[in-house]
Amino acid sequence: MDSLKRILLVDDSSRDTELVLEAFAANHLANEVLSVSDGAEALDYLYRRGPFAGRTNGQPALVLLDLKMPKVDGMEVLRQIKGDPELKVIPVVIMTSSREEQDLVNSYQLGVNAYVVKPMKFTEFVEAATWLGAFWAVLNEAPPGSVVRPMSRGT
Amino acid sequence: MRPRVLIADDSLTVRMDISEALQSAGFDTVLCADLRSAREALAREGYVLVVLDILLPDGDGLDFLKELRSSPATAQIPVLLLSTEAEVKNRVRGMGAGADEYIGKPYDLGQVVARARALTRANSNDAVGPGRRVLVIDDSVTFRKELKRSLEAAGYNVWEATTGEEGLALAAADRPDAVVVDGILPGIDGRTVVRRLKSDATLRSTPCLLLTAAEGTDDELRAFEAGADAYVRKSEDLGVILVRLAALLRGAIVAGGETNPSLLGPKRLLTVDDSITYLQELGSQLRQEGYDVVLAKSGEEALELLEVQPVDCILLDLIMPGLSGQETCRRIKQRVEWRNIPLVMLTARDDRDGMIEGINAGADDYIAKSADFDVLKARLRAQLRRKHFEDENRRIREQLVRRETEARFQRLTHSNIIGVILGDIGGRLTDANDTFLTMLGYSRAELESGKLRWDEQAPSEWREQTKTAVEQLRSVGSAIPYENEYFRKDGSRLATMVGLVLMEDSDTVVGFVLDRTEHRLAEEKLKRYAVALEESNRELESFSYSVSHDLRAPLRHVQGYIELLTRETAASQLSDKAQRYLQTITDASIEMGQLIDDLLAFSRMNQITLHESHVGLDGLVQATVRDLETATQGRNIDWNIAPLPEVIGDPSALKQVLVNLIGNAVKYSRPRDPAQIEIGCAGEEDGRLILFVRDNGVGFDMQYAHKLFGVFQRLHRADEFEGTGIGLAIVQRVIARHHGRVWAEGTLDRGATFYFTLRPATTF
Repeated sequence: MDSLKRILLVDDSSRDTELVLEAFAANHLANEVLSVSDGAEALDYLYRRGPFAGRTNGQPALVLLDLKMPKVDGMEVLRQIKGDPELKVIPVVIMTSSREEQDLVNSYQLGVNAYVVKPMKFTEFVEAATWLGAFWAVLNEAPPGSVVRPMSRGT
Repeated sequence: MRPRVLIADDSLTVRMDISEALQSAGFDTVLCADLRSAREALAREGYVLVVLDILLPDGDGLDFLKELRSSPATAQIPVLLLSTEAEVKNRVRGMGAGADEYIGKPYDLGQVVARARALTRANSNDAVGPGRRVLVIDDSVTFRKELKRSLEAAGYNVWEATTGEEGLALAAADRPDAVVVDGILPGIDGRTVVRRLKSDATLRSTPCLLLTAAEGTDDELRAFEAGADAYVRKSEDLGVILVRLAALLRGAIVAGGETNPSLLGPKRLLTVDDSITYLQELGSQLRQEGYDVVLAKSGEEALELLEVQPVDCILLDLIMPGLSGQETCRRIKQRVEWRNIPLVMLTARDDRDGMIEGINAGADDYIAKSADFDVLKARLRAQLRRKHFEDENRRIREQLVRRETEARFQRLTHSNIIGVILGDIGGRLTDANDTFLTMLGYSRAELESGKLRWDEQAPSEWREQTKTAVEQLRSVGSAIPYENEYFRKDGSRLATMVGLVLMEDSDTVVGFVLDRTEHRLAEEKLKRYAVALEESNRELESFSYSVSHDLRAPLRHVQGYIELLTRETAASQLSDKAQRYLQTITDASIEMGQLIDDLLAFSRMNQITLHESHVGLDGLVQATVRDLETATQGRNIDWNIAPLPEVIGDPSALKQVLVNLIGNAVKYSRPRDPAQIEIGCAGEEDGRLILFVRDNGVGFDMQYAHKLFGVFQRLHRADEFEGTGIGLAIVQRVIARHHGRVWAEGTLDRGATFYFTLRPATTF
């Protein structure tokens, strides 16, 4: 499965992160998942600054983004990604706890690629994560510039 | 110093005659025989009046008049033209050149003096001294001078007349405070003078003291019969006259205020006839009576004259070429300012038709030309008298009305229910009521000092409002009430509401000022509430946002980790009990999630803005039933849906109402086979439609009906019927926000009916 691409998971909740990773693992979506715990870190990663200053690999094939986070929230990360000529090609999927209408409207106005409400039931959650991973990381053709390097973790 | 009159006339007789008359009336005179000397005299000193002839040896008097009018120094001096040119066209020319009066020659001396006094009085009110004014009428120069000396020594101002006629003319022009008249005079006697004075409405209150040389009670009786107020024999000491006079003046009503021209004052007559012979005969007859007579040869001329000079009576020939007497009369009576001039119609024959024609055209009287001139004069006097009394009555009536109006205005102003100010459009403040003064903290004395201005009482940032108000006053006469601020005396500010009205035909402004302090405070309070409310709404919004994000995540984690735990542990390793515990934890967290969702939905229903439009309930019910397909699948339900009307409301909110009510009907009729659900309209209440949803389900006990619509209130256990108890609370909230009401009827095990009211899209 060398067509698997790297996913950047941005969520401040380590439990949610673990659950997502479990869901991916349970479905053998063995692609690279890199998780960061807030928006600031996500932006550092994408712009190769701070702890990620030495990062040489390409941009991720997908950003899975939570909305409510400390420091820089998901909406701000989305705004910066979609406002940057180089980053805006990266697909961004919002994964959040609630379907607040204002969040939906704002996200789509900023150019989000998909908006998913995390299901309450774990089985449904696993389904959703599987489907997301399969679509964005397997079926979808990544934009040029995101490097395909299966099985190698790290920056 | 006595007021000075310039007399310019080429006739020495005329100059001396007029000069003498004016001097005894209290004027100084300067006499000029031509224009050159008149110009020199005028350059030398000032005059209160110019008496001017038109035909002068070195030029036209009218040219001199024009010179006077064109120079600022002399433009204001009254000019009385005196000319042999007594025809209408000369009068029109003279008045047109700027003359104030025009008297035809031969003139009546009394007429000239009276007009001179009237013209100068209009110009300077203080021409007369401060003392009481006494008119002495006596033909004996010696006695007159002696009496005058005594009176002047006692502080009186004295005017003299040698004949009764002259005396009456002076009295009419001057309105003396008292008259002393000798019983025996060359012309009309003293008693006649008294009688005439007493028959004049404006002079009748003037005290009259009659003097006589005769001894005997007969004389005295006749004196009182004539209306004299006191009677003194000439043989008595002068001191007696003084004492009686003082007593009379003590009791007399002080003359003052506006009065009509006296009946005995100078009168101008307009005579109109195409026969020059008759006109001149009439003119000379009437001049003998002391009238100023204008001779007009046609109706056209008469109308032309009326435009430039007022007259007291019109004598009009009925039959004339050109404009007939009848038509002339009609035109005169059509003009408001001429309507009240007495008009006597003259005709050649004493015919009945002519009389009727004349009276019908609006004439006040009618007289045959063939009649004796004495009859004509008497009729004329009667007309003038009638006019005089009518004017007097009108004046009194107007005065009463004015006093009443003023009294009403005073009452209005001083009722002190609102601040009232009186001023002019220039910004001066002339009067104000106590309410206004109290508002601003000023005293009446400060107001009366005249230093307060209504336009400057406002702080500079409020001046724009005042400017706008003044513009409105000028253009439409009133200013729409506007908010304003006024400085109080202590420098603090007062919030006001001000309305201004411009009084008719003047620049007097009446203002109504309301203290807005209370309103202002209330408004500010309201504004603060609005801000606080908005803030609390925003807080509530962010609260529910947090709730929807943050409360859900832990629940999801609970379920997620139970699932992971279940996977990590082989089924056999967990006892049935342990598995049931895990299931209960899962169920509880799911329930918790549902509660959070419902609570959020309910709180949103309070916050969202409703967008009202016409809503077809038919379509909305059908859509709702379709949405409930999952719940109705496999059920046997008899739907009975009546045609429903259009209502006014928010479509999505009303959809929520139907989903909840019909959903409940479906849910609570689950034990029935078949279930019956009816939806319809049950009539009308206060202009609103009553709609209902009825089912034959498990129903409820009416004693708990009041609990149905409370948040999280349930009448069934969760294991009987699922639900959180938020549905009906939302229904109630939505309907309440549409200003309708909701209620329910039910019987345990027999079903329930839920009613709600909505505004119909069209009124019945």
